[in-house]
Formats: sequence, C-alpha cells, structure tokens
Amino acid sequence: MGAQLIQVDWAVVLIMLPLSAAMLGFLLPGMARNIGLLAALLILFTVVGLGWQLTQTGVYSHVAGGWLAPLGIQLHADGFSLLMLATSAIVGVAVSIYSTGYFKAADDQRFWPTWLLLWAALNALFLAADVFNLYVTLELLGLSAVTLASLTGSKDSVSAAMRYLLSTLLGSLAFLLGIGLLYHQYGSVDIAILSERVNDSTVSWAALGLITAGLALKTALFPFHFWLPPAHASAPAPVSALLSALVVKASFYILLRLWLGLFDFQQDSTVANMLGILGATAVLWGSIQALRQIRLKMLVAYSTVAQIGYLFLAFPLAQTGGNRVWYAVAYLMLSHALAKAAMFLVAGNMMLFGGHDRIVNLDRVVQRLPVTVAAFGLAGVSIMGLPPSGGFIAKWLLLEAALAQGHWGIAGIMMLGGILAAAYVFKVLGYAFIPSPVPHQAVSVPARMQWMALLLATLAIMAGFVAQPLMQLIGIGALFDSTGSMP
Amino acid sequence: MEAVGLWQSAFDLMLGFSLFGLAWRMLFCADLFKSIVLFITFGLLMAIAWVRLEAPDVALAEATIGAGLTGALLMSAFAKLRTLDNSLKSGQPLLPRPRLHVINFWIALLFTVLLTGGLAYAVLSLPSHSPGLSDAVMSQLDSSGVTHPVTAVLLNFRGYDTLLEMAVLLLSIQSVWSMAGMSDAGEVHTSPVLNVLIQLLSPVLILVSAYLLWVGAHAPGGAFQAGSILGAAGVLLVLSGRPLFNLKKSWLIRLMLVAGPAAFIALATLTLINEGQLLKYPVANAANYILLLETLATVSIGTTLLALFVGSQTEAVQQDQSHQ
Repeated sequence: MGAQLIQVDWAVVLIMLPLSAAMLGFLLPGMARNIGLLAALLILFTVVGLGWQLTQTGVYSHVAGGWLAPLGIQLHADGFSLLMLATSAIVGVAVSIYSTGYFKAADDQRFWPTWLLLWAALNALFLAADVFNLYVTLELLGLSAVTLASLTGSKDSVSAAMRYLLSTLLGSLAFLLGIGLLYHQYGSVDIAILSERVNDSTVSWAALGLITAGLALKTALFPFHFWLPPAHASAPAPVSALLSALVVKASFYILLRLWLGLFDFQQDSTVANMLGILGATAVLWGSIQALRQIRLKMLVAYSTVAQIGYLFLAFPLAQTGGNRVWYAVAYLMLSHALAKAAMFLVAGNMMLFGGHDRIVNLDRVVQRLPVTVAAFGLAGVSIMGLPPSGGFIAKWLLLEAALAQGHWGIAGIMMLGGILAAAYVFKVLGYAFIPSPVPHQAVSVPARMQWMALLLATLAIMAGFVAQPLMQLIGIGALFDSTGSMP
Repeated sequence: MEAVGLWQSAFDLMLGFSLFGLAWRMLFCADLFKSIVLFITFGLLMAIAWVRLEAPDVALAEATIGAGLTGALLMSAFAKLRTLDNSLKSGQPLLPRPRLHVINFWIALLFTVLLTGGLAYAVLSLPSHSPGLSDAVMSQLDSSGVTHPVTAVLLNFRGYDTLLEMAVLLLSIQSVWSMAGMSDAGEVHTSPVLNVLIQLLSPVLILVSAYLLWVGAHAPGGAFQAGSILGAAGVLLVLSGRPLFNLKKSWLIRLMLVAGPAAFIALATLTLINEGQLLKYPVANAANYILLLETLATVSIGTTLLALFVGSQTEAVQQDQSHQ
C-alpha cells in the first residue's frame, strides 16, 4: 500500500483537482458550495500526501506530455514549493469554510468556480519549472483575483478591481517580454536549462529588469503598491484574505525562484540594494499609512504593503548572508499569510457585526466577539514579530543577518517597522475595549466565521514552535543552500 | 529579384508606419467610436504584418480575434456606454482628457524615452537569427500525430499550457457572468438586408470554421481560429434577432462552455493513469486525441466568445452585499 501511495503523482492531482471542481461547480451552480468544500478538503489531504512523498523520496518532478525539456513542460516540487502549496491549502480550507457563513447561497455560483480556478492557478504556479508555463499560470491567477476582488459589485470595488486589472496585466506583459527576450537569446523556457545558459549580457539584463519590474508591480512593492489597498480593502473579506495571504506571495515566489535560478549571473549588488531600499521604504510608508487609516480593512491592507517590504529587505542581505536569509523569507511568507488572512477574516466579522469597519466605533466589540478579537490579537503578535510567533522567527533571522553584516540601516528599519506595527495593532485593540459614542445595531456572527479566524491566527503563532522541522521541510531540494552564499 | 526585395522593403516600411500612425490616432482620438474603428483597422493591418513575418497562424488569430471579435465586443460596450451617457452621441469624449502637470509630463517623457531606448538596445543586441526550438519540434513532429508544427506544439508538446489556457477561457465567461449577471441578448435591429446577408453567411462561416479545424492538423488553422469564426457566426445570428438558446437557464450552453477544458482534463487524467504522464498520448492514437480535443475546444471557444458578446450587452446586476 505504502509503496503504491509513494508513486502517486500528488503534485499533478493538486492541479487537476481544483480545475475539475471548478468545471463541476460551473456546470452545477446549485451544488457549487458542496463541490468546493469537498475539493478543499481533498486538496489539503493531497498536500499532506505530497509532503510525505517529498520527505521520503526527495524532489519530485513530472514530465508533462512525456516530452522532456526543452521541448516539453516539466513540473517540479521541492521544499519551497511544498511550503507555498501547504500555506495555500491551509489558508484555502479556512477561507472556504469561512465563506460559507459570509456569502449568501445566491452568491455561491459567483464565488466558488472563480475561487477554485484561482486555487488551481496557485498550485500550478508553485509547481511550474518553465517560465512560459509560469506566465500562463500568472494569467489565470491575475484574472481570477480581479474577478473575486470585484464581487461586492459596489462602485468602489469595481473601480479598484479595474485598476488592479490594468496593473496586473501590465506586470504580466513586462514578464512576458522578459521571457521572450530570454527565449530568443538562449533557446529555452525551462528554468533548469536557462540557468545553465544565461550569462552576463545585455539581453539578460533587459530580461532581469523587465521580469523584476513586472513581478514587483504584481507583488505591490513600493512604489507599485498603489493598486493594492483599494483592491484588497473593497473586496469581500474572504477574498481580501486570499489576495493578501496568497496572491501577492505568488508573484514574489516567482521572483525569488528566478532570482536564484536565472539571475545569479549578476555579482554586482546594485539591483539587490535597490530592491532593499524600496523594501525599506515600503516598511515605513506602509506602516505609517496603516496607522493613519480610519477603516480597519484599509489598515490591514496597508499593513500588507509594509510586510511585503520585509520580503525585499532580504535581497541586499542575501548578497553576503548566505542561505539563512532566504529561509527567513520563506518563513515570513508562511507566517504573514496565516496572520494576514486571520486579520482580514476578523475585519469581515467586525463588518458583519457592526455594519461598518470604522476603527473608532468598534464599541466594546471585545465583550461581544471575544473569539474574533482574540484572533486579531494573536495575528497581531505575529505581524509585530513578537515571540513566540512565526513572524518572530522570520524577523529574528533577518535581523540577525542584518546585524552580523553591519547593515545598521536595515536593522533600524526592521525595528522601527515592528514598533509601528505594534502601534497600529494596539490602536485597533484599544478601540475594541472602549465604548463608542455611536452605538450600532449588532448582527450575530456565525461561530464558524469566528473560529476560522482564530484557527489561522493560532497557526501563525504555532509556526514559531516548529521552526526546526519546518526548516527541514523547506530545505528539501536545497534551493536556498546552493545559492546566495559568498561568491 | 533585386526589385522584388526593394518593393517588399517599401511595403514593410509603409506597413510599419501605418501601424504606428493608426495606434497613435487610436490613442489620441477624442471620439470613442472612431477609436474603435481605428482599432479594428489596426488589427487587420497587424494581421498582414504577421503574414509578412511568416506567422500565418498568428495572422489568422489576430484577424479573427484581435480585429473581429474584440472589435465586436468593443462596439457592444460602446453601445452600452452610449445609453448611459448621451454626450457620447455627439462625439464628445467620455471623460475629460487628464492634463498632466508640466513636470510630470517631462518626467514621464524622460522615463518613456529611457525605457524605449533600453529596450531597443536590448532587442538590437539579440542574435539576428535564433532557431529556438524549431529543430527540436521538427525532429519529433513524426510522433506528434499532426504534421503542422504549431498544432504539434499547442496540442501535444506543450498541451499542458493549452489546458491552462482553456481554463482561462472558461474563467473569462465566469467573470463576465459574475459581474454582469446572465441574461439574453438586448435590443435587436433587424433589416431585410441584414437578414439575407446572415442567411447567406452563416452556413459559409460554419463551413469555414470546420475547414480551419480540420486543416489545422497539417497547415495553419486549428481550434482557436475555427472557434472564433464559429463565435462570429453566432454573433451575427444573435444580432439578427435569432435567439440561439436561452442563455439564462440553458444547461446546454454551460456544457458547451465546459466541453473543451473538460476534455483536456479528462484526457490528462486518463493519460496520467494509463501512461503515467499527463497528456502523454500513445503515438498511434495521438492524431485522434488531438482531433477530439480540437473539436471540443472549437465548440467551447466559439460558445465562449458568443457568450462574452451577449454577456456584455446586458445591464449590470449590482448586488451590494459588502455589509458596509
């Protein structure tokens, strides 16, 4: 039995399962919710299968169509892919269950097929080993994300979604132009083959610029973050959670993979330093803007802008800091995904409860929604980077690298960002305890919506306790160990 | 020989400048209707440019989808906008043209010039001739089941990409329906001339579509081109007031939309189980599998494009459930 199970192509199932469920949900709109929930649980189970397979047999790869690269397309799963697939599965299941309380039955046929296609795009993206295939997954991902962002149908959300669409398309086109140049020069779109051929040439630099700029736009790195706060804040709460936790991480995942696989020809650190400076600015700007917001969802969205900044701080550090920095980034991607999804679910609960999300009028919500407020507090601990959370482990490793290398500026920015994060988290918590001058009609919030938020927040904290085994899982395939060390 | 080359260069030069000129006029034209017409013209000239670049497959797709159906979608969006905003009728711009501050203008110009210059430099430094993977494609063509290299790449060598592209197609109609709701075609203008024209054209279009589908196995053509012609036939029929099916309730139309992507997924699953790799066709059956996939994909592509056209004609159903 075990011998057969180890042979199963879990990774391929991860792509086909959400795709099939999306088709079924589209065909049978009345059953879309049940089909989707079943698919969500099966995806979680399949990720566990893939994880077990990777620990037993190491890196997995699949030759789609039976044609080896460069002619065909290969799929590839290593520890980093597994981390992202598992993050998507955990957040995906929690958000799926949450959404059954949030959306009315009439909205199921608008939400479920699109969300399942988005999930398929994420899984396919994390398994891709081919730059053109990555482009196709980005297209599926971007369009489904924009559609979900527009689901409320309000004027704000439609215009924010339109802006999001134009930004994400521009990012895709820049990415496509970059891979077009690479293909013409080096004759392949397979990452492994390209990594052997790409050298220090004009074309490589142009591709580096186009791909990095396109993906930075999609990841909402400062100053390309302009589309994110309105789009994430005006989407329905479960969608905001998916967008902030998973979708922006997906383009960062590609950037990191290509940076390590293709763009290691550049020894000069100008680009890395530039990304670091933009990241540092994002940390400060995002945090200050978050502090200034009067609406909870806008605050959480700007907090995403700031936390994305931390991911980019790693680029200058990795020049000399070796693999620990990239492990820290992977850890930050996981813990931010869990914590930020929890925060947006909390915001959805408060909005449902009070009919608004103005922070000053939260009106003793702590007494009436204790589970929800507890979720916000726990998620906040991870966002601030306090022990013993997952966010703490990630930021501690980054800070350690910054101090060891004498990057005092980066270390200072990280600490300042932490203090600002504490300020905006406590601002919300403070108003949750005091009565508001304008009382509001309270609507009851289904228990599953509260517990899903708490579950994700608790997992964000728990991620801090399992650092050792998690790092071992991430290390399967040694993506981070072979590169980024001293040249 | 020399003279032919000169004429060709002159033609290419003219084509290039016309494309640039059309694009410029299209972007800076105050009248939205005129812009759309220019866009369609641009698509047709672009198709000719693809022919000159010896990419007939892309040329066909550009003419049918880029110029034809996108043009129809833009026109129907324009008609919708006109009912919302009367000023459009008199050729007024929909929105006042944004005025850039003079400093912003110069910054934007500088940035654009630098970007264009950098890209031009990179493109010029590319090798003038790059075989890419065409040798690899040609050497495996015999075992692909078809003799046209483009079809072999799309349906066999990189069939997995096409599977995901079919999912994008389904997503497009799911998006339009989830934003605008689903309903039947809007207002209809019939005229005797249009009716006769459509009676003559529809069978021809369906035949052309079938031909393009069939010929794709050994010459330029295939599911995307065939599907867009089929979609165009549907658009004509809808325009003349023939309700093809009741889009709102029809289970059949959902099945037609899903057929293409579902066939890909079913075959991927089947080959994964039987051959151990997704979309790995046994050489003996490759031709049949590809024909089956392309036929169902044609149906789905045609239906999707038609449904996009019909969907864009309907009034938006706004449901505010944001709990604000």
